[in-house]
Amino acid sequence: MEKVELKSVIKDWRLHAIAFILVAITEAIGLFSISVGPGVILLLPMLYAFFLGLGLYFTPLISEKNAKNAEPLIILGVTLLIAKIGVTIGPQIEAIIAAGPALLLQELGNLGTIFLALPLAVLLGFRRESIGMTHSIAREPNVGLIVNKFGFSSPEGRGVMAVYIFGTVFGAVFLGLISGLLATATPLHPLSFAMASGVGSGSMMAAASGSLIGAYPELEEQIVAFAGASNLLSLSTGLYFSIFIGLPLTEKLYSIMMRRSERKIAKGGGPNA
Amino acid sequence: MLKSVIEWTWVLAIFGIAALIGNWFGMDVLPWQAIPGMLVLMAVSLVGLMLEKALPFSMPAVGYIGILAILISLPGVPGSEYVVAWTSQIGILSLATPILAYAGISVGSNWADFRQLGFRSFLVAILVFLGTFLGSALIAEVILRWQGII
Repeated sequence: MEKVELKSVIKDWRLHAIAFILVAITEAIGLFSISVGPGVILLLPMLYAFFLGLGLYFTPLISEKNAKNAEPLIILGVTLLIAKIGVTIGPQIEAIIAAGPALLLQELGNLGTIFLALPLAVLLGFRRESIGMTHSIAREPNVGLIVNKFGFSSPEGRGVMAVYIFGTVFGAVFLGLISGLLATATPLHPLSFAMASGVGSGSMMAAASGSLIGAYPELEEQIVAFAGASNLLSLSTGLYFSIFIGLPLTEKLYSIMMRRSERKIAKGGGPNA
Repeated sequence: MLKSVIEWTWVLAIFGIAALIGNWFGMDVLPWQAIPGMLVLMAVSLVGLMLEKALPFSMPAVGYIGILAILISLPGVPGSEYVVAWTSQIGILSLATPILAYAGISVGSNWADFRQLGFRSFLVAILVFLGTFLGSALIAEVILRWQGII
């Protein structure tokens, strides 16, 4: 955050005027949803804003300097978003406590992401990007954490944004598709998948639990209750889970994997040997 | 510190204006109805940023901000009903849109790096979502069976 002088950022009125106009236009357009099988692809104003902003970079309207000045706005904007998520959780605290130990422990399932996706990311040639990509499912609090810790332009920041963008565009439809498929194709109980649906995003939870209800209509009320409670818990604990468990574990596993591949190369056995 | 606080306040205020515009156009909440809530969120962010600078722990500002925001909105905490009522005027997506607008403008300068992420990052992202979903379902299955619920 100290990289650019905040004073010049504050006075960059061309940048702010363009951002205000982008926000006004995209919010006025509003949300579109495209049904794809059991799920929906949600097109939200923030997505148009991202791609329009990106497009403007390649026009004379936005200079390299304007683009650099945008970064502190992202970092401080994220702090406001985290504050908003916090004040949404406070009033629900009793519901969270009542939800119980099963809900609490299934949060550890998020580690499945690290064990499944980190090796693939490293195998595909990602370096420190893989830490941002696989430490969590890259929802807003996790993006906030990574941006806050490593900066938005860092490899970790690029990684977390890549998964964030994927999740924003395809997260709901992807979870909607696989939850129905997995619940019908595996011996696991649909209520276990209901709890898993609460990944910390309302639209993803709705899509994932929605297709479970489609497959098991007789369990509708229980599915909704379990998914909703789990989602609340993911929203309230997800950030701290990432700070204290997810991110340190990812960094640890990453350094072990990198050390191992360096040793292999040192032995003369290159990756293709 | 004082210089930082003043500059943070300005940047938060500029961002806040963008969010209020989005809130107005997207959620039909007039800006002056949302100003008290925005001021609360700005105050929480400022305190969190100050704590990060002032305290010796390696907790990022967003950690302090989350805890603080939960505390002041807990039922029974004096004034929490105002905090909840005021901030409820601001949609989460109204804050997300300006973040992504600035992010879009900003990533332009990293576009070459972003393009390199390409198809491979798509594959990783799929496993990221599959991993969380399957991992949570497996643990829930074990505990629910153990509790005799399923």
